[in-house]
Amino acid sequence: MRNLSFPFIALALMICAAITPAQAMPPIQQQTLPNGMRVLLMEAHNVPMVSMKLSLPGGSRFDPAGKGGTASLLADMLSDHTARHAHPVWDDLLDADAIKLGAGVGRDDFSLGLTVLKDALKPGLDAFSEALLQPGWNKKRFAILKQDAIAAAQKAQEVPGVRAAQAAAVLLFPQHPYGHRPGGTMKSLARVNLGNLKSLYAAQIKPSGAVLAVSGDITMAELLPLLKARLHRWQGKPAKGLMDISQPAIVAGKQADVTLPTTQTLVQLLRLGPSRSDADFFPAFVLNHILGGGGFASRLMQEVREDRGLVYGVYSYFQPLAAPGPFVITLQTKADQAKQAEAVVRHVLSDMAAGHISSKQLKAAKENLTGSFAQRMDSNRERVGLISMIGLYNLPLDYLSRWIERVQAVTLAQVKAQAVKYLQPDAWNRVRVGPKSAF
Amino acid sequence: MPLRLMFILSLLSSCFMAASSASAGGGKLQEATFKNGAKLIVEEDHSAPVAMVQVWLKVGGRDEVPGKTGLAHVFEHMMFKGSKKLAAGEYSKRIAAMGGRDNAFTTTDYTAFFETVPAARVSEVIGMEAERFAHLALRDKDFQKEIRVIMEERRMRTEDDPNSHMFEELSAVSLRLHPYRNPVIGWMQDLKKLTIEDVRAFYKLHYVPGNAVVVVVGDVDFKQVEKRVAATFGKMKARPIAPRFNPTEPEPFGPKRIEVRLPAQLPMLAVTIPVPVWKPGHNDIEAASLALATHILSGGRSALMSRELVDKKRLAFSVGAGYDEASMGLDLWYAYGMLGPKQTTAAFEKGLWALLNHMAKTPVSAKRLAAAKRNITADEVFAQDSLYLRAKRIGRLEVAGIGAENRDKWLQAIGRVTPADIQKTVARWLRRDRSTTGILTPEAKS
Repeated sequence: MRNLSFPFIALALMICAAITPAQAMPPIQQQTLPNGMRVLLMEAHNVPMVSMKLSLPGGSRFDPAGKGGTASLLADMLSDHTARHAHPVWDDLLDADAIKLGAGVGRDDFSLGLTVLKDALKPGLDAFSEALLQPGWNKKRFAILKQDAIAAAQKAQEVPGVRAAQAAAVLLFPQHPYGHRPGGTMKSLARVNLGNLKSLYAAQIKPSGAVLAVSGDITMAELLPLLKARLHRWQGKPAKGLMDISQPAIVAGKQADVTLPTTQTLVQLLRLGPSRSDADFFPAFVLNHILGGGGFASRLMQEVREDRGLVYGVYSYFQPLAAPGPFVITLQTKADQAKQAEAVVRHVLSDMAAGHISSKQLKAAKENLTGSFAQRMDSNRERVGLISMIGLYNLPLDYLSRWIERVQAVTLAQVKAQAVKYLQPDAWNRVRVGPKSAF
Repeated sequence: MPLRLMFILSLLSSCFMAASSASAGGGKLQEATFKNGAKLIVEEDHSAPVAMVQVWLKVGGRDEVPGKTGLAHVFEHMMFKGSKKLAAGEYSKRIAAMGGRDNAFTTTDYTAFFETVPAARVSEVIGMEAERFAHLALRDKDFQKEIRVIMEERRMRTEDDPNSHMFEELSAVSLRLHPYRNPVIGWMQDLKKLTIEDVRAFYKLHYVPGNAVVVVVGDVDFKQVEKRVAATFGKMKARPIAPRFNPTEPEPFGPKRIEVRLPAQLPMLAVTIPVPVWKPGHNDIEAASLALATHILSGGRSALMSRELVDKKRLAFSVGAGYDEASMGLDLWYAYGMLGPKQTTAAFEKGLWALLNHMAKTPVSAKRLAAAKRNITADEVFAQDSLYLRAKRIGRLEVAGIGAENRDKWLQAIGRVTPADIQKTVARWLRRDRSTTGILTPEAKS
């Protein structure tokens, strides 16, 4: 691959809200179950399959202090077995019908996902609701999952990006619930016990505020009775809602270096970005596309890779969460070139902050963003990701159909104002991972 | 973690399934071959106003000569560095302006360039693809910059990733002749010596219309696309096609093993075994049995390797195995285990062979086989959800010499496999005396 696909995936899943042209896009249908869970559906009848994802405020920000990875282990446990079906039997049961069931966590959200063939929808929903409502809490399985999670966390210490993300979370979110990676660390995972999982489950895994995003070969009329029959016993409101979170304090000019015996140095510049509900979300989004979110069309890629050949990839993204999340610029280069590459990035930042953004660049960014609408939503998996984001963060249901119009409406003055707000080089922090010689 | 495929898989999204596209939802394939040997395959799908255009070349790492590894992959970069009509970087800018996304990938067997675009722009994109294919600029100035980018790519992917580094070494030791022994990105020593003359010679020899297969999946009309490809790729002057390097790998004389010492946190053990690829009409049951055996070992939730080696015996914390029936010549089957701090490579290795030997002696249960078949079939349907995967399956079958027209026969073969077939195939191919074992030993805490 010539491009890093990660930034594109990240874009599609986290930042952007992409769409299909308004005239071709099926609407998002909404129904609310009596227990408060919202069901958002986009029909797509071209492939005989159904994908869905339940999202609710139960992510890593709800991990008890010092026990990072609790929510992640809860996700592992809920999909591993249930009160009715022990571990190996449960796996056989799901595989017999090709039921793809999995749980995961982000900083804000806990999610439970299901992908099934249309003809396995009923057993799929049975499994989905059983995993959600009848946790098994098997002690032996917990011990195994925990031990393997700790080993995986140790293995992940070999990965420069993981080391950077760990350092970045600590640096950017001191004393804040966003201040650790969702998967936790070897140390924090070691402190987690089964009781922590049970408490988190009891406090947060509730239908009120939860969103079930569905895409596939099904109608609301078919889906609702199936859901009601399985989820009617699920009741209640989470102890903390999605928006019950403090604003992270602003951190600027901080630095952290992590020594790793690699040939390259990973350089990350970081600061707080906009939250999901930021009034200037779209101007900031377009700004990032011009800066480093637009792949080969972005300023950073042009300056650092195309003009100087310093990196394979350099990109920027921000992660809009309930509160301001991280805004990240990241690159990897041969250790002795790290300072040069960083200087180029800082120059681009100050240049853009000084207002050097052309109407031509803005036009190109808008063309790319609006034109690529359709393909960012051309699979059930992508649609479910976007719809669940819309539901969880309570964005309007016409968010997708108005997305192009909102991108189009962004003016050069707005983008420049966002550049002044976000791109001042002094406001960024830095994490480096690499050999000692590079620091 | 696949070996040479790891190169691609690490980047493409995790949903990649090596298996085939299918009658299980796959549309009709329409084909055209032009006088100069260029070929077009179209699968119409009018469910969304988008299309995937992929240009597949029967050119890859296997077509490099010794000392020039990495050359095929250089084109993945140089194809974006300008042609007669387009300045360097202009290609991607135009695709971006039409709201498209472009990219490329290279393996030992092929090079592919692709764009996802609004359906109305397909004709324009085919024109752009043909123009750069026939009139690539190949300026030394651009090459000097790109080769540095490629070295950074190699540092990031291989040098600084102990697992991937180990797999590279293991592949090199596993095979004596077959080109899967060389990394697609090239050995660093070779990259440092490549010149623009090497690049130009490779281009002249291999970028010929008879090596090109254009695959379009999406909201298009076959007749219109056919006209367009006839007027572009089909119009190019016919040129001789260089024969592909596809040697017969000598049979192993016994087990081999290597140890790779690198800065790492935890050890890993991997095993490779050369196995046959799918030749439709010749070895359908054998290839399908290998695919099913591999799925039973490492696919789905009930995978035997996780159940036996991770959950029951606690010999590793993460395991996997892989087989690709659409490789060329042979496939390097693999299995691996990531070991936790108190787990040993010796115990894992013993457990892995006990499991494989058990499969060679005892038929798998009918229930287990049925679940594996059901999951492979379901994965085919799920893959229909992605234009990218659909086009990719078509292109791969075509460049591997299997033929896209055989696409639906794969699931039929899967359906016919019996427990006895799996037992026989495992006993015949997945043998220790044919294997190479690689051990990653952490030499210092990374």
